[in-house]
Amino acid sequence: MSAEAVATSSAAAPATSRKNPAGIFLVVGIIGLAIGLGALVMGIQNNDSRLALSWLVGFTFWFSVLAGMLFLTQISYLFDAGWVVVVRRQMENCLAAFKWLWLLLIPVIALPLLMDNPGLVWRWMDLDAVVPGIHHTTVGNDVLYLHKAGLLNVPFLIGRLCIYALVTCGLAFLLRKNSFSSDLEINPKYYKNCRKISAVGIFLTAFTATFAVFDLLMSLSYHWFSTMYGVWFFALSMRLGIAATAVLCFHLSQQGRLKGLYNQSHAYFLGCLALAFTVFWAYISFSQYFLIYNANIPEETFWYNIRELNIDGSKSAWWYVSMGLIFGFFVIPFIALLWYPTKIKPWRFRTISCWIMFMGLIDIIFNVVPIQEPVDNILGFQVLPFLSPALLVDVAVVAGIGGICIWAALRSAAKQEPIPLHDPRVLESIHAAE
Amino acid sequence: MSHATAEVTLTPEEQKARSELIAKAKPVDIPRPILVTGGKDFHWVTEKICGIVEGKTPLWWWILFLTAACMATFTLFGLTWLVSTGVGVWGLANPVNWGWAIVNFVFWIGIGHAGTLISAILCLLRQKWRTSINRAAEAMTIFAVVCAGIFPLFHVGRVWFAWWLFPLPNSNWIWPQFRSPLEWDVFAVSTYGTVSVLFWYMGMIPDLANLRDRAKVLWRKLFYGLFAMGWRNSNRHWRNYEMAYLLLAGLSTPLVLSVHTIVSFDFAASNLPGWHTTIFPPYFVAGAIFSGFGMVLTLMLPLRAVYGLHNLITQYHIDCMCKIILATGSMVGYAYAMEFFIAWYGGNPYEGFAFINRAFGQYAWAYWIMISCNVISPQLFWFKWVRENTWLVWIICGFVNVGMWFERFVITVTSLANDYLPSSWGYYSPTIVDIFTFFGTFGLFSVLFLLFVRFLPLMPMGELKAVMPAADAHGHGSGTQGQGVPHHDSEGGHH
Repeated sequence: MSAEAVATSSAAAPATSRKNPAGIFLVVGIIGLAIGLGALVMGIQNNDSRLALSWLVGFTFWFSVLAGMLFLTQISYLFDAGWVVVVRRQMENCLAAFKWLWLLLIPVIALPLLMDNPGLVWRWMDLDAVVPGIHHTTVGNDVLYLHKAGLLNVPFLIGRLCIYALVTCGLAFLLRKNSFSSDLEINPKYYKNCRKISAVGIFLTAFTATFAVFDLLMSLSYHWFSTMYGVWFFALSMRLGIAATAVLCFHLSQQGRLKGLYNQSHAYFLGCLALAFTVFWAYISFSQYFLIYNANIPEETFWYNIRELNIDGSKSAWWYVSMGLIFGFFVIPFIALLWYPTKIKPWRFRTISCWIMFMGLIDIIFNVVPIQEPVDNILGFQVLPFLSPALLVDVAVVAGIGGICIWAALRSAAKQEPIPLHDPRVLESIHAAE
Repeated sequence: MSHATAEVTLTPEEQKARSELIAKAKPVDIPRPILVTGGKDFHWVTEKICGIVEGKTPLWWWILFLTAACMATFTLFGLTWLVSTGVGVWGLANPVNWGWAIVNFVFWIGIGHAGTLISAILCLLRQKWRTSINRAAEAMTIFAVVCAGIFPLFHVGRVWFAWWLFPLPNSNWIWPQFRSPLEWDVFAVSTYGTVSVLFWYMGMIPDLANLRDRAKVLWRKLFYGLFAMGWRNSNRHWRNYEMAYLLLAGLSTPLVLSVHTIVSFDFAASNLPGWHTTIFPPYFVAGAIFSGFGMVLTLMLPLRAVYGLHNLITQYHIDCMCKIILATGSMVGYAYAMEFFIAWYGGNPYEGFAFINRAFGQYAWAYWIMISCNVISPQLFWFKWVRENTWLVWIICGFVNVGMWFERFVITVTSLANDYLPSSWGYYSPTIVDIFTFFGTFGLFSVLFLLFVRFLPLMPMGELKAVMPAADAHGHGSGTQGQGVPHHDSEGGHH
């Protein structure tokens, strides 16, 4: 990207003269990925799905963050919003991580296939695998799989994933290119281009995110389905994207490039968005749960049942996780963000944003990990437990993929101006008032 | 309140770097659109809006009013026939026991939800262009809720027992079914109706006071004086007003979402293929916004032409509304696509059949009308020349209205007509009573809306003035999007 290479910020100089944080994040990323990779290989060799799922958890977490930022960037262009310009540049820097992120999905897809344990994560990839809960039936004989085999097969999945990568990386590239180019030349075409790209891109992103989450998460239990699942992911990604942006901007305003540029109003508006999407996430999650609970159709309810009950009918640890999500991911952020000072006091907003990211990770674990494994009991399956040492691997992979993503973002930031100098709304943003 | 960054201490070097950076920031010139065009002053706005109410009743108004009133009698006729005979006069018959009544209810309630949603959400999002349309949208909401309420009310059969819908102690010890979403509708819609009326009415108080102060005849002084509740344009009044308005906007937004969500539960909480789908709540809300903007433009474009409101409802306003119709129409299209995809993906043959049957079965004509009107026709709004052609915009909005009625028809009737038991399948057709009752509601709606146009301020004058270039005399907000504060006009009042 030529614009990236040319634009070198004078304001970035004080930050880069200090110890290079990008290098630190790269090291953290490599260490985390090494741990995750070791666990993945160990999982494949020992047929331990839980270890392998950690990689998917880490990928999904950062995919949510970046998808949220991509949504928010495009929405801000479409609304022609003024306050967001200072903040948007930081998100554009983060979007540089998309290409690395998609590369980091390869191990969890490729290694189980290459190491002859294809159904370890996505059971449908192994036609000889026993279907949990249905005795003496393999995936290859499962009528529900056979119905979906045209979609759920490895070559087509890889093709679709390539399309998702192409769409997200392509949009990130185009938005970044135009935004960074506008720093070099006072020309309205760049802003107009971004608006046009966003108008088309928002639809592409919506369908990409929806089908990506169908493929990567919903098909983990390929019998299950929900039309709401894509909307749930949108809500989650917006929450995580906003929270990550708030933490990043806070950090940059304290120690880095946004000192004196990111003000109380930006924090307030981000806080309002965080509150709105807290409610939206709760609304979507509740609606999905309620409609499935109320209809009580076994083909749908099993997804929640395995997240609630042990084999003897008692509450499993997942039930407590779900309660934790209700209170920790909705009630606490909702009440906290209703409060004006939470939105504007830096440490409070940073704390609640970190909390939202932590609970977002728990939500992803709740959606990814409790898959069924065939065993010889009355149900014919057991559910992977919540409490396991693999939680530490989850953390390592989140840190690993996160390290690479942040490294990519910082690398981009080091080459660019901290704010889009010639954005038509840049002064509105610098002087934003509530 | 100190700025967050005030806690950050900048070294002199950093301060210098910041100042240099800000000095380098030279925004490219893409000015924000002017919301009130033509270089008009505050007085012009007052005269324009009050003039609609104070002027002589135009002939076209009488013609439309009488026509609408005649149309409304169709509803009266239909309902009289229904009550005197029984619900059997409607086209309801096994297996379609929910026919036009629920279709019409959801159609009107969708439009009804949209007005307040538009007004409240745009208020919270600080979209200044809302000022030209919010009052009419809110009025539309209330009149649409009135029309919507008729259908479930009379669908209960013995309408004189409709009060049983409320959990009032009674000698028969009969209680409503609290587990039914239809019962939730009673509470949701009545709460929503109440808040919508409050929101609409409260927003009008300053303008009613304006009309009161300008009134030259006694009945006007008394009528507007009574409803202006002693408004005197004092600073304290405005402070309280703005806080109350913001609070009501904040309350209305989740309330609207909840109401249309509950309407979607009427269907989605069942086990019927085509109804039981988890995306229904947000899909219904998106549909309500879609149909709401469709109806707002359907109503406002003729008013704009008749009253010469081109400086108040500018091309920018029309552009914004067209783009929202495009966005929400596409969201509705996304929901249709998800329903279809998951109907296949789920592997449930009944679910799969329900959707194949919608598209290619006996009601395929209705389905494709729905798709054409709701998904395809709004795509024309991608083109600027379409958005700038008022006639085309109005026609497409007509399609949106038609399409949204058909959406509810498709959802309701196709799933019921061809359910689990092929031996009970049937083809639903409305009777003349159904048609009369529905047709008449357009008359009722028009009567109420015409009365609103004639007797109440069509736009919030105070808010309009706050977004005029004249309100930003020092140019802080580029003189366009209302960054400035409301000024006092030449008459000494903040109208």
